[in-house]
Amino acid sequence: MLRIIFLSLSMLLTIGLSSPAVAAEISAKQVVEEFQGKLIDVMKRGKELGFQGRYDQLDDAVRKSHDLPKIARIVVGKQWEELTSEQQAKLEAVFSQLSVSAYAHNFKEYAGESFSFISEEETGRGGVVVHTNLKIPGEKDVKFDYMMKKKDDSWQIINIIADGVSDLALKRSDYTSVLSRDGFDALIAKINEKIESYAKQ
Amino acid sequence: MYTLIYSSKGQASLVSALLFSSALALTGCASTEPATSGDLTAAPEVTPVDPYEGFNRSMYGFNMGLDKYLLKPVADSYRFITPDFMQTGVTNFFNNLKGINVVLNDLLQGKFEQSASDTGRFLTNSTIGVLGLFDVASDMGLEANVEDFGQTLAVWGVDQGPYLVLPILGPTTLRDGGGIIVDKAANPGTYVPGTGVLEGINDRANAEGALNFIDEAALDPYVFTRESFLQYRNNLINDGKAEVDSLDLDVEAAFDDTESESYDSKKKTDNTSPSGAVSK
Repeated sequence: MLRIIFLSLSMLLTIGLSSPAVAAEISAKQVVEEFQGKLIDVMKRGKELGFQGRYDQLDDAVRKSHDLPKIARIVVGKQWEELTSEQQAKLEAVFSQLSVSAYAHNFKEYAGESFSFISEEETGRGGVVVHTNLKIPGEKDVKFDYMMKKKDDSWQIINIIADGVSDLALKRSDYTSVLSRDGFDALIAKINEKIESYAKQ
Repeated sequence: MYTLIYSSKGQASLVSALLFSSALALTGCASTEPATSGDLTAAPEVTPVDPYEGFNRSMYGFNMGLDKYLLKPVADSYRFITPDFMQTGVTNFFNNLKGINVVLNDLLQGKFEQSASDTGRFLTNSTIGVLGLFDVASDMGLEANVEDFGQTLAVWGVDQGPYLVLPILGPTTLRDGGGIIVDKAANPGTYVPGTGVLEGINDRANAEGALNFIDEAALDPYVFTRESFLQYRNNLINDGKAEVDSLDLDVEAAFDDTESESYDSKKKTDNTSPSGAVSK
């Protein structure tokens, strides 16, 4: 009898202990909202920060919220396997740099934009899609859907679908095309070209 | 399968466009792609959605040249001499003329509620909005919908067909290209000579931002344009209601290296039957 009480007590304890642990886990929605908050913050200070300032501000936020290694892998498709491990590391590095640069370039000024959360949806394969809206004063809302995957204890962005256009699919076609037509070195050269031109403006 | 739906006039021009393109595809391939090397080239050369890539790429190059030396300078000067409010007015005016066609295609797709709203929109903007110069309907909550005969054909189950880049007109597909004929016929502007030129200049001026974005972001602008065009059209056809699981499958399939080719054809013909990819 004592044993049973002890057992149920300990079970209660574990449940009691584990539920705050679950609650402390960062949800997909939180990851997206934190990142969007950072974006808006950087946009508001965009002019004073300048490109490099925005880049530095966003570097951590982008790397933390996006699974860049996985994205870099997906965008070259099956040709990933044909790359040497050095090439894979190189691609991952420049791709990450390009992703942050693109954010720093595209979100450079603030004109009253705001993100709003709409809904969160589970996909069949253990992913989550977070639906949000970007409101731009005087223009039609832009739908931003974030496709999230769980990595370790947190959720990370794998793909962004803006008004139905999938960033991942777009990049994948773009990158595989360059890779198969012009080869790996040309791909890296083109990515570096883009990084440079983003930094200039 | 197209023959059932397309008008005879449309069919003739589509057939000739196809003949034209396949003839050029051969020369296009020969002249623009000799430098590619080795086994890596083999896989993506034949994209089911874009069987005439050689022709399309040369047409794309032609259009870009035309844009750089003629259309962009004209559009830039138009933007320079035209105050913003006038440019908005011109855009509103031409959008309003498309309103009849939007209502028509709402009905053809069975979207009766939307057709009522779009009719109200057209009538409001044509009257209170002074012949469409002011988009008062949007302020009243009657949001603009984009519908055209290409979308209607998709809803009716017509396959997307090959991707095509037409001279001056730019990216389209066989299905959308055919749809344009109906869209033009249902647009009053078509029957007033000269308006097409102004509309074209205005459209080009409005596209400035998008074209700059492609220029900045794309490694291969041709492929980038093709993919964004096809995805954009699919989104319009679905009215923005894509299946969440299809997005998930995209990612999973991308990992599944051995099947990535079938993934390509599946992804790009989402709204058509699988056979649509290679309809010729």
